[in-house]
Order: sequence, then C-alpha cells, then structure tokens
Amino acid sequence: MHINTEFMAETFLASLGGIPVTLEITLVTLLISVPPAFFMALARQRRKGIGSRLASAYVSFIRGTPVVLQILFLYSLLPSLLNYLFTQVMSLQVNVFKWNTILYAFIVFSLNTTAVLSEVFRSALSTVEHGQMEGALSVGLSRRQAYARIILPQALVSALPNICNATVNLLKSTSLAFMMTVQDITAIAKVRAAYGYNYIEAYLVVLVVYILLCTVVQLLFKAVERYLSSYKKLIAA
Amino acid sequence: MLEVRNVHKSFGDNEILKGVDLKVEKGDIIVILGPSGSGKTTLLRCINFLERAEKGTMDFDDIHTEFKTASRHQINAIRKRTGFVFQNYNLFANKTALQNVTEGLTVARKVPKQEADARAKEALDRVGLSDRYDYYPSQLSGGQQQRVGIARAIAVNPEVILFDEPTSALDPELVGEVLNVMKALARDGATMIVVTHEMGFAQDVASRVVFMSEGTVVEQGAPKEIFRAPKDPRTAQFLRRILRDDYEYSI
Ligand SMILES: Nc1ncnc2c1ncn2[C@@H]1O[C@H](COP(=O)(O)OP(=O)(O)OP(=O)(O)O)[C@@H](O)[C@H]1O
Ligand SMILES: [Mg+2]
Repeated sequence: MHINTEFMAETFLASLGGIPVTLEITLVTLLISVPPAFFMALARQRRKGIGSRLASAYVSFIRGTPVVLQILFLYSLLPSLLNYLFTQVMSLQVNVFKWNTILYAFIVFSLNTTAVLSEVFRSALSTVEHGQMEGALSVGLSRRQAYARIILPQALVSALPNICNATVNLLKSTSLAFMMTVQDITAIAKVRAAYGYNYIEAYLVVLVVYILLCTVVQLLFKAVERYLSSYKKLIAA
Repeated sequence: MLEVRNVHKSFGDNEILKGVDLKVEKGDIIVILGPSGSGKTTLLRCINFLERAEKGTMDFDDIHTEFKTASRHQINAIRKRTGFVFQNYNLFANKTALQNVTEGLTVARKVPKQEADARAKEALDRVGLSDRYDYYPSQLSGGQQQRVGIARAIAVNPEVILFDEPTSALDPELVGEVLNVMKALARDGATMIVVTHEMGFAQDVASRVVFMSEGTVVEQGAPKEIFRAPKDPRTAQFLRRILRDDYEYSI
C-alpha cells in the first residue's frame, strides 16, 4: 500500500480551513442549548408538574434515537416544514431552500445538546445540598440571588467535567454535518479524497485534526476548572 | 414581640402541627423540648417560612399575617428580622467564613461592603473565630462551622434567632464551645427560640421551657417547674427517659 504523504500534507492544510465551521457549529450549538437545558434541569429537579414530565420525555426521546437518524429525519423534514410554515401559514416571502445549510446543523445539534446538557445540569444541581438554599433564604436572599451567588457557582464547578465531555462529543458529532452538505473539516477532506481515491490518507488526517481540536478543548476546560474551583483546591492543599 | 397562633401544618395526609400557639417577648430564651417527630423543627421552619403552614396567624411587631396568605414581601420582611441556625449549619461552601456572614448584609440588605466586613468580623469575634475569617467551611471543624452559622445569623441584628438542634450534629467534645456561645448571646439580651436536647442548657438559660408532643404544645413554664414537677404525664415520661440517657451517657 502506498501512502501519499504529499496529499496528506495538502489535505491537512485544506482541512484546517474547515476548523472555523466546526468550531462555529460547536459554539453556536452550545450557546443555543445552555438556556433551555438549564430551565429543563430546574423543572426536572422539582420532580412534579407538567414541565418536569415534558422535559424528561424529551430527554428520553433524544437519548433513545441515533444522532445520524435525527439528522436524516430533520434534514428531510425541516426544509419543507419551514417552507410550509413561512409561505402558507404566515404568508411570508421566504425561500428556506436557499438558506445556508449550517442553520439546519445548528438546529439538529442544538436539539440534541439541549437534552444532554439538561442531564448534566440536573446532576450538577443535585450535588449542592438543598440546605444551602435554605441558609441563603434565612439570611434574606431571594431565590434568584441564592441561585446566582451560592448554588450555581458550585454546580458549575461540579458540572465542568461533564460539560467538557458534552462539548467534546458535540465537536466530534459535528463531523456528521457533511450529511447536510456543510463544508466542515470532514466534508473538505472527503471531497479531496474523492478526486484520487485517497480515502485512507484523508481520514487519517481528519483523525489527527479532531484529536488536536479535542485536546485543545480539554486543556481549556482543565484551566477553567482549576480557576473556578479555588475553594476546593484550598482543601486539597 | 412574636406570636404565632393555631399553626397547622401537614405533609400529605400526615398532620404534623395541630394548632400550635407560641408567644415570645423581647429577651426571652424559649427552649422547645419534645420527642423526635413531635414537630419542633417543622414549627421553627414554619415561623421562617421555609415551610408553608396551611393555617394560623403570626404577629411580628407591626407585621400581622396569615401563614397561608403571607405575601412574598411580608415573608422577606420576617426573614430579614429573624436569624436561623440549622442543625447541619448549611453554610455556603463556596464562601469563606467572612463571606458567609457578609452575604446577608451586602446582598440582602445592601449594606456597603466595608461596613458589612466590619460587622461580620465583629460577629465572628463574638463567636470566637477572629483567626478564621478566610477559612472555607470545609477547612473548619463542626463546632467552628456551627459558630460561623451563629455569626451569620446574629450579624444582621435579628430580633429573634431560631436554633434547630444546633449541637446535635457535633461530636460531644465540640458541643460545649457552641453552647457557650449561645449562653453568651443569651446574657447579652438576645431573643432566642431554641430546639435542643441539651437539658443542662435548658435548665441554666431558658426563661421558659415549652414541651411539645405529637404536634401540640403540651405544657410550658419556667424550667424549674417543668423539670421538678411536670404536670403532663408525657412530659414526665420524656424527661425521665432523656435524663436517664444523659446519666448513662455520663458514666
Ligand atoms: N418535608 C417533609 N415531608 C414529609 N414529612 C415530613 C417533612 N418534614 C418533616 N416531616 C415529618 O414531620 C414529622 C415531624 O418532623 P420534625 O422534624 O418537625 O420533628 P422534630 O420534632 O424536629 O423531631 P427531631 O427531634 O427528630 O428533630 C416527622 O414525622 C417527619 O417525618
Ligand atoms: Mg428536628
């Protein structure tokens, strides 16, 4: 077997051009997902009420279906559904078929990540004893102040490793965006491989690029974790 | 100063408080005794609205309210004029001892930071923690944590402080330091409602002992009367049992 190293070097450089797209999908997805995930976690923490049940049904649904299938399904369904909604129901002059397909990537990955993060947040909130909320209320803080100043900072510290995990998983699964014709790292490498049938080389390069990206993300999270958990670090010292 | 009347509280079908009355005057040290499950904690929690009683009224100085319909505004006003010391301390784990105490001042009462720091240090000094301002709760012993809890409660100059078994989570050798702090507060004229199983504290410090059983106040009076000549057989039985346990414990 002959490995075309020149092709690999070129593909490496070319696929670097896809990094912004990959990072964009990852970051935008996280930004969209965090608020609803947080409120779902709060709803589920109460354990009763319609909100809690809806949230848990949603999480089960997302968790119980493969991402690939979610992409195929939504990518087939969404454009025509949105088109119907805009042109028929709201009578707007919008052509959804001309939208950048990255928008669909945002939607699909956000639906998924919201479910993942809501679980992460829920377990993080449960690591902070309820007593601290009562301590805060008893000295006159409002519930909102107690969450902002006491509960969430601690929950965030214990959530970070899992948020890191979720982010890395998301970053990796954005490679499926090529199915929606988004030009991310994977898509670029695949297209180049197709010219001369250099698939093995192309995939090797893509592997390396993802390893590098994921490593950077993990290092970043480690640094944030160290910074935020100063009150825990003191204990160890 | 503080009076609650006819407090009823149920959890599901389980009626825990069945019409409790309690009256507290300024400077009173009320000790509430009673067997486990008699509703002592629940009563304190209802007074601070950590639990919502479904019936009963409350008069706190000029505030008159029904437990059931108390507005957020009234609840906030009552909480700001009371302190609560918890069995498990409930300190803020992400804050130092000093920050635990200033939180209620700077955030809830908008006291400027410098003044809050000064008042918090004074409170910590009163509980004997002048050398622990910058320690996190996890770096403190149980007794020290509970003293931070007391400092947090007194720093806001509450009109009445509620104590829920403040020493029962502590190792025996640490109980004394917390009780001493509480005795000092009592000497300085604080108004306190204390749920405890520390009979010595009740005998020495209480201005009135309230005995609860199965969600009602069975009898109340000066500690001497209650300990020497309990009128209700339930009080007598409880005292016999607990004093015997204390005795056995001490040998
Ligand atoms: N949140 C709750 N939900 C359901 N039941 C509760 C709740 N809180 C308390 N109870 C019940 O109310 C009863 C009285 O509890 P409470 O804590 O007031 O008793 P207590 O007099 O403080 O007892 P102890 O001396 O053991 O602390 C108990 O039977 C307890 O199981
Ligand atoms: Mg109790």
